[in-house]
Amino acid sequence: MAIEHGLIAIPPTSSDDALVSHLVRPPRKRGAAVLSVFLENKLALAGFVVLVLIIGFCFLGPVFYHTNQVTSNLSVSNQAPGGSYPLGTDNVGYNELGRLMAGGQSSIEIGFAAAALAGVFGVLWGAVSGYFGGLVDSFMMRIVDALLAIPVLFVLLLMAAIIKVNALNLTLVVAFFAWLVPARLIRGETLTLRTREYIQAVKGMGGGASRSIFLHVVPNAIGTIIVNITFQVADAILVLAALGYLGFGIPPPAANWGAMLSQGVSYIYAGEWWLIYPVGGLIILTVMALNLIGDALRDAFDVRLQRR
Amino acid sequence: MRMSTAKRRGVLSAALASALTVAGLGASTLGGAAAGSTKKATTHGTVTFALPPAVTPNYILPIMGSAYYSNVNLYQFQQIMFRPLYWFGKGSSPTFNADLSLADAPVYSNGGKTVTIKLKKYQWANGKPVTSRDILFFMNMLKVEQGIWPVYVPGEFPANVVKMAAPNASTVVFTLDRKYSDTWFLYNELSQITPLPQAAWDKESATGAIGNYDTTPAGAKAVYTFLAKQASSAASYASNPLWQVVDGPYKLKTFQTTGYTVFVPNSKYSGPVKSKIAQLILQPFTTDSAEFNSLRAGSVDYGYAPPQDSSQIPLLKSQGYNTQPWIGWSINYFPMNYNNPKVGPIFRQLYFRQAVQMLVNQPVDIKKALYGYAYPTYGPVPILPKSDLSTKQEASNPYPYNPQKSIKLLKSHGWNVKPGGTTTCAKPGTSSSECGAGIAKGAAMSFNLQYASGLTYITQEMQQLKSNLATEGIQLNLTQAPFNTVIANASPCKLSASCTWQMENWGQGWSYGPDYYPTGESIFETGSGINEGSYSNPTNDANINATHVVSGTAVLRTYENYLAAQLPDIWQPNPDFQISEIRNTLKGVTQSSLLNYTPEYWTTTK
Repeated sequence: MAIEHGLIAIPPTSSDDALVSHLVRPPRKRGAAVLSVFLENKLALAGFVVLVLIIGFCFLGPVFYHTNQVTSNLSVSNQAPGGSYPLGTDNVGYNELGRLMAGGQSSIEIGFAAAALAGVFGVLWGAVSGYFGGLVDSFMMRIVDALLAIPVLFVLLLMAAIIKVNALNLTLVVAFFAWLVPARLIRGETLTLRTREYIQAVKGMGGGASRSIFLHVVPNAIGTIIVNITFQVADAILVLAALGYLGFGIPPPAANWGAMLSQGVSYIYAGEWWLIYPVGGLIILTVMALNLIGDALRDAFDVRLQRR
Repeated sequence: MRMSTAKRRGVLSAALASALTVAGLGASTLGGAAAGSTKKATTHGTVTFALPPAVTPNYILPIMGSAYYSNVNLYQFQQIMFRPLYWFGKGSSPTFNADLSLADAPVYSNGGKTVTIKLKKYQWANGKPVTSRDILFFMNMLKVEQGIWPVYVPGEFPANVVKMAAPNASTVVFTLDRKYSDTWFLYNELSQITPLPQAAWDKESATGAIGNYDTTPAGAKAVYTFLAKQASSAASYASNPLWQVVDGPYKLKTFQTTGYTVFVPNSKYSGPVKSKIAQLILQPFTTDSAEFNSLRAGSVDYGYAPPQDSSQIPLLKSQGYNTQPWIGWSINYFPMNYNNPKVGPIFRQLYFRQAVQMLVNQPVDIKKALYGYAYPTYGPVPILPKSDLSTKQEASNPYPYNPQKSIKLLKSHGWNVKPGGTTTCAKPGTSSSECGAGIAKGAAMSFNLQYASGLTYITQEMQQLKSNLATEGIQLNLTQAPFNTVIANASPCKLSASCTWQMENWGQGWSYGPDYYPTGESIFETGSGINEGSYSNPTNDANINATHVVSGTAVLRTYENYLAAQLPDIWQPNPDFQISEIRNTLKGVTQSSLLNYTPEYWTTTK
């Protein structure tokens, strides 16, 4: 017999108290179940702690450690770590430790904003496409296919070269391609969900498409959405780093990790490690932490794992 | 090993003992190739020469517009195929070189108004001789296209040649509109001539017959149009038979639009020294770091160390490279567009230029961004290689770094200075305490500056300048672009809505040539083709014109002292053209301060 939703399907022949207890236990709230599975994942917890620390470093750090990240000072450029500069200075004299914080702020802000924007748009696109199906689905998905076929970095560089680069535009540029993956995923989810009884019931009672999509399809795909957005944030930070590395980040005095890394590489032979390893390490740690969290969330939203 | 500035000055001052005088002509060879070398020189071998970062050759025809007028196009690309009539650069001295010239030194007569040029025996790669007709062919096209010629100054060459004649195949006679200084006319006017193969190029279409079309203005224009169209197809440079008819020591074997170029010796080259290397490769790079990686990997024979990697020079020495800073006969500046309808009126104010100049800290830039491999620019005459042409006034800094004085200057001219914000004009008007003509109330000091990518030190200097200007509320919006894009954008334009560029910095200012005598008409005289920002000052024009007709250095000093104070552009540190790293097995290299090179003197040893 099916044990759908943990209801009262107790095998009459069972004499195992523990099993009986388990089967008759009221179902846990879904949020608690998700959290429970997530907390069991030690790597995810480590990733979460690292991410919190990095966010704290970037956003709370400047509150306690004041540096001038607006006015450069070439006369103190390329100073080795020590004294007034715990992580040295960069090639125009910015305090490298403060620069890491400022660069992290823009990378994280734009990364999260681009991922959120891409997530919202991608979810709506995919849900509409999957819900209506047929010609609408074909048309909308061919657009997605076409955009997926374009080399992303090439277009991003082109767009970044055409438009004036600032935080808002960079967010839009990164989000422009990031929505394609969630659109595909949600479309697949919606194709399944739209056949469920409760969707059919909404239709039968005269509910419109928007009601079905916003109140039933999207909430039931929330696991997929959250997991995907987590990965989108990591991807967006990497794309930002790549754009910055290639010289298309937010221009100085604003900082970004990619541009800092690119600048540091120019001094690799001069042995100025402080311009390379700290920022490289932060990019790796941030992306890795987000990926670990994403992996764990994927497990946590998996219904089968919630029943362990 | 890095040479100190003082030592460099000593070496170069000796080379310039007879600087810039034609009287000093004498038979000398360039570099004394392979002198003292006991190893066996080979006639084979490939030499890979690193091009400057993000700079590529992109134009082959020696008559070109300002968008293509770069050192690389002129000196590293065109001139080793198409030799100029007169060669300049003897060792590191920026002087006339009779040995490598295609003609004997010009003879002046008729009170200086007639110039007679006698060609030496040179031939084209197709076996035909280089004749006086080839000079006239060049002149005929230049006369109809003088408007696009970057170093053209209204009324000057070729307009000042009122009559041309070729009495025989090896003689050309020019009649001038008036008498000029002999030195100036050779160094700055005749220096512009590059004989072109009339017998192969004088046609109006690819399939048309060779004729004498250039002898009429309409015909010359048609021929030029045809040749320019061929030159615009860079992908076909190596395959187009037109460009194989060369008189220089090399001809093109391979050319890619990325800038990758392979030259092979021109077996018909008639100059004093034939190539001893089998191939010369010009290798492009997008950044100085990429070039340095190649150098470290040993895949470049003649490259350069970026200033920020100068600490690696001992390591390069251990890898078999010899370090030789290459100092150009040049000045460095970035222009402002006086004809920009929006911000041009601000640029025209001397106090504004002074205020900006006082925020350029050249000594710090040289020390920290260029690691000492540079010297300052405070005026229009290079202070290195040392000569008696630059004055004490110019060698000192008329506008040293002084932010307080700079702010005071802006405030005293009616600007509401907002440090960290945007400074605006509070008192429009033309009196000495007001913003100046054409500047409206509320006009903002916010400017766009595009600079060349690929060179770390330019980025550092521009970021520092942006920061310095921001302290006075002058917003500098920086963008980067490849060198070729920057010089193409920095073209003079007439005051109109389409004249939109504001500031452009390609990082290398001006290397004097073919105006080797630094009288500045090409870059600072009203209406000249490569006066990028359209600077115009009647006093300056008069000073320049005096240098053209009066011999001696007094008039030159008057000109340079005045212009140093007037700031036609913003002066900035002049980096060594490059910190050359030359493989020890490559011999015979002489680094001309005019930035041309003579690979036919190079040898490779085992």
